[in-house]
This record gives sequence, structure tokens and C-alpha cells, in this order.
Amino acid sequence: MARMKFLCDTERCIECNGCVTACKNEHEVPWGINRRRVVTINDGEKGERSLSVACMHCSDAPCMAVCPVDCFFQTADGVVLHDKDICIGCGYCFYACPFGAPQFPTGGVFGSRGKMDKCTFCAGGPGEANSAEQVRKYGRNRLAEGKLPICAEMCATKALLAGDGDVVADIFRQRMAYRGAAGLGTGWGVAYDKGLRKASGLDGKAAGKED
Amino acid sequence: MTDHPSRPAIPSEPRQHGVPPRVRARITRYLLALLAFVLIAPLVPYAAAYLGAGNVPNPGAGLWNEVRQRAGPADANTQARGVESAVLINQVGERWRQFRSEMLVPVGAWLLLGTLGFLALFWILRGRIPLEGGRSGQLVPRFSVNQRVVHWFAAILFVFLAVTGLVLLYGRFVLIPILGPEGFSATAAACKEGHNLFGPIFPFAVLAMIVLFLRGNGFNQIDLKWFFRAGGLLKGHPASSGYYNGGQKSWFWMVVLFGIAISISGLILDFGVFGQGREVMALAHVVHGGVAVVFIAASLGHIYIGTVGMEGAFESMSHGYVDANWAREHHDLWLAEMEAAGMVGVEPNALEEVKRHDNIDFKGFGSPGTKAVQG
Repeated sequence: MARMKFLCDTERCIECNGCVTACKNEHEVPWGINRRRVVTINDGEKGERSLSVACMHCSDAPCMAVCPVDCFFQTADGVVLHDKDICIGCGYCFYACPFGAPQFPTGGVFGSRGKMDKCTFCAGGPGEANSAEQVRKYGRNRLAEGKLPICAEMCATKALLAGDGDVVADIFRQRMAYRGAAGLGTGWGVAYDKGLRKASGLDGKAAGKED
Repeated sequence: MTDHPSRPAIPSEPRQHGVPPRVRARITRYLLALLAFVLIAPLVPYAAAYLGAGNVPNPGAGLWNEVRQRAGPADANTQARGVESAVLINQVGERWRQFRSEMLVPVGAWLLLGTLGFLALFWILRGRIPLEGGRSGQLVPRFSVNQRVVHWFAAILFVFLAVTGLVLLYGRFVLIPILGPEGFSATAAACKEGHNLFGPIFPFAVLAMIVLFLRGNGFNQIDLKWFFRAGGLLKGHPASSGYYNGGQKSWFWMVVLFGIAISISGLILDFGVFGQGREVMALAHVVHGGVAVVFIAASLGHIYIGTVGMEGAFESMSHGYVDANWAREHHDLWLAEMEAAGMVGVEPNALEEVKRHDNIDFKGFGSPGTKAVQG
């Protein structure tokens, strides 16, 4: 069984928000709900980096632990999903989540929270896969169709990786080996431009290859 | 050295032939030096790192330190519009979850069940505290109609909020096995809406309680004696008291302090439309939950002693009058004051009478604020 994971390569993310747009479009996410967002650190300054972040589908998810109505469940692929028929919109998962993934429409008294919405890893929710009801509540179930999450599929620079944790880790490990360890801090140019890389003396394992 | 004749001689150390003492000493020195080297060598890298030699930082460390906000809020922004959308890692979630799962839920459960157990034990051992002298038939006015209305308004609201709050805190463990996930979801949703809808009224109830019950709730010497005698709860240890005794005063101040804390934190949690972040929300939740379980546990004691626990107590809050013998046994100094004021044995039936006493109430009947009791 696969263990589904997201990984965002900060050396590749260019803050195009393509993942955000793809997600909103695929799942018809309502206004004000951000299943995925791109956060830029030190915007416009040296060392600027962007990260696309959504639900990280934790192995031991704090939202599952803290939910007062126990509405979360984890699929065999390690995807953390929730049942909107059970959720009462208390917001505890939002307090507990390290990544700010749970989102709430305003629904209750005094503009309080409605039923929680979050990234499903394009795996829908409970009930029949891609039934009208499931699509309406949770969006499309791409995993059931044998596809991977739309955000990663649409990523122009392949910064955002989604899929089996082992495969994702292998791809990232290859990139790291190619860039060399110091590539983490030097940006796309040094990571992928041979001239710059040689000039900076940050050659990795693959640096000698001429292709 | 003399050997005892009956003992065999202790064999002396076998002599080492062929190794002169100087060589032996040198070997010992070498061995000691080797030992010192083996012990010190592993520490060299640490010492070097400590002194800064070979300190190559991970080039990614700066970014991830900013993501984790190790040195304060990061310079981050995002196109997403929401509360704390630009925060990548929530700084308080883990601590809040640990407090709720490992402190609030178990400690609260032990506190509430312990209080119930204690009251049950007290009921078994002490039973209902009777009117020792029976009923005198003479009534003494105790609580005005305004006080009673405010008391029951606050009490009903409190019980409703306590029950709905406890459902949200313990329902997952207690009610899901009984009602099933769907049944409990409907119950919890109703409790959440009810709690959020009626919660904001509670501050008004607390405020009204403070206004109508503040008078006479200042602590004095008599209360100290009352506490030392355990409030007269143990047989044969009557404790003297004025209009309010030490326990009642403690409960009043608990209502004031807990009521204010629970109201402010509750309003912060309920009205999430002002963009308050998770840090404020989590802190408000810690205060709200922590105070609530202590408040509820204390209220169980108050409810017990005001209803089944003591004969003649409930009527003071139902029709506002108590029997003179009840006053004598539990509030002797107040009764003396009332007798002096000629307020014992008045007819409570007529509505006019009640109104009249309401008026008198505010002029000082039964008030422990008079010099007689304060002194």
C-alpha cells in the first residue's frame, strides 16, 4: 500500500499559485476557503522562498486526536479525511493543526463556523466515490480514478510533488544529490545552471556529468 | 609484621622477575597516557564545535527557522485571504492539544467525579442535615424577589451551559458509544449552537448577581472561625455566622471571579469574527475549559447543600423566607439582628408583604453590613 505524501521543493516553487487555482477549479471550492495556499518568506528580498502548503495528511494527525465528535478517518493510503455529516464546526482541528489546513465557512450563530473543509488529497470523503453527493461535499475523487492530486499534476516547475512517499522521496533525493548539499541555500540558478554551479564551487555528485 | 602461628602466612605478591622497576613505571605511564587519550579523544570534535571550528551551517536552516518562527514572526505573505494564512507552522497547536487531551479531559473528569463521590460519601455518612429544633413556624425574610429571579436566571443558564459544555468535552468518550456517531453529531451540533447562542447572556447574569449579592459578602473574623470549625458540617461543632457564612461568601466570590473569566474567554471564542488568531483562541480555550470544570465542580457542592443536603435551606431561594429555627442553627448572628429589628415572624403570604420586604431589603434588613455583625 502506498503512503501518500506531499512535498514542496522550495528551490523550485515560483509562487505562481497554479496549485491553488487548480485545486479551486477541480473541487469547486467556495470563496474564502483555501484548501491550499502558497506562502512566500522574505518576499522581494535575498533568500526569498515560497512554499505551497495544504493538509499534510499526518500519520498521527492532531485534528483526529482532538475532534470532539471523532469525524476524521485515515484511508489505507494514509490520507486523512473527514465526514461532513458528523462535523459540527467547532474549530478545534484548526487550533490543533500545525499547518492551518482546516477551513471554515461561516454558518452558525454570530458568524460562527460551519462544517470544516480541507484538502482531501483529491480522495473525496466517505460514501461512494465520485457520487454527486461526494463531489458536492468534498470535491472530485481523483485517487479513485487512479490519478494523483491535481495541484501537483498542474505544478509548472514540479516543485510540488504528491504521491507515494517512497517515490516522492526518491525524486527529491535525486534532486538533492544533483544539486549538492549546499544547493539548498543557493536557489534555482545554482541548482540547475551548470556554469553558475561550477563557479560557486557547490558541485554535487552529478555535477561532473556533461549532457 | 608478625604472623600468628596458627594462621597460614599470607602469600606475598609474586615477584616479577626480569622487569626492572624503572621499566614498569614507564609502562604504567604509557598506559595512563593511552587511557587519557582514549577518554579525551571523543570530546575533541565537541570542543571544536563549541569553539566554532568547522561550524558549517545547513544552508536550509535559515529558511526552516523562519518557517518555524524560531526568532519571532517570519516575514511571510500569501495571496490567500484568511486568519493567519501567512503562518506556515502553527506555534500553539501542540501545546493546546496537550493541555486539552492530557490535562483538561482527565483532570476535569477526576475533579467532577471526585466531587460527586465526595458528596455521595457525605450523604451516606452525614445524611440530610436536619433542623435540630424542628420548625418554629416563624418565618424570617431572607432573599428578595429580585435576588431570587436573578439567582434562578443565572442558575438555569449555568446548568444549561454546563451540560452543553460537558457534552462537547466528554461526549466523544461517553456519548458516542451510546448514541452512535450520527446521533452524537446531532446532539453535539445542537449543544454547540445552544452554547454559542445562550453563552453571551451569561455575563449579564454574572453582572446582576454581583449587583444584588455583593452586599454582605465581605470576609471578616467570623468567617475565619467558621472555616476553622469546618462550617459546622461535622456533628457537634456548630459554627457561628451572620447573614452569609464563609462558605457562601467563598461561593459568591467564585461566581464573580470564575464568571468574569469564563465570560471574557467565552466571548473571545464565540465571536471569532474579529480576526483573533489561534494563539488568542487557544489561550481563551484553556482559561474557559479550566475554569469551567472547577466552576461546575464547586456548583455541585452548592446545589447539594441548597437542595437535598440541608433541611430548610431551599425555601430561602424558592419563596424567600426561612424558618426562624433554621436561621438560629445556621445564621445565629443574623437571626439576632433580625429579632432586634423586629423582622421575625412576619406574614409572608400577601404579595404586598413581599413587596414591602423587598423594599426593606435594600434598606438593610438582614444585612451583615451593620455594625452589630461586622464587629
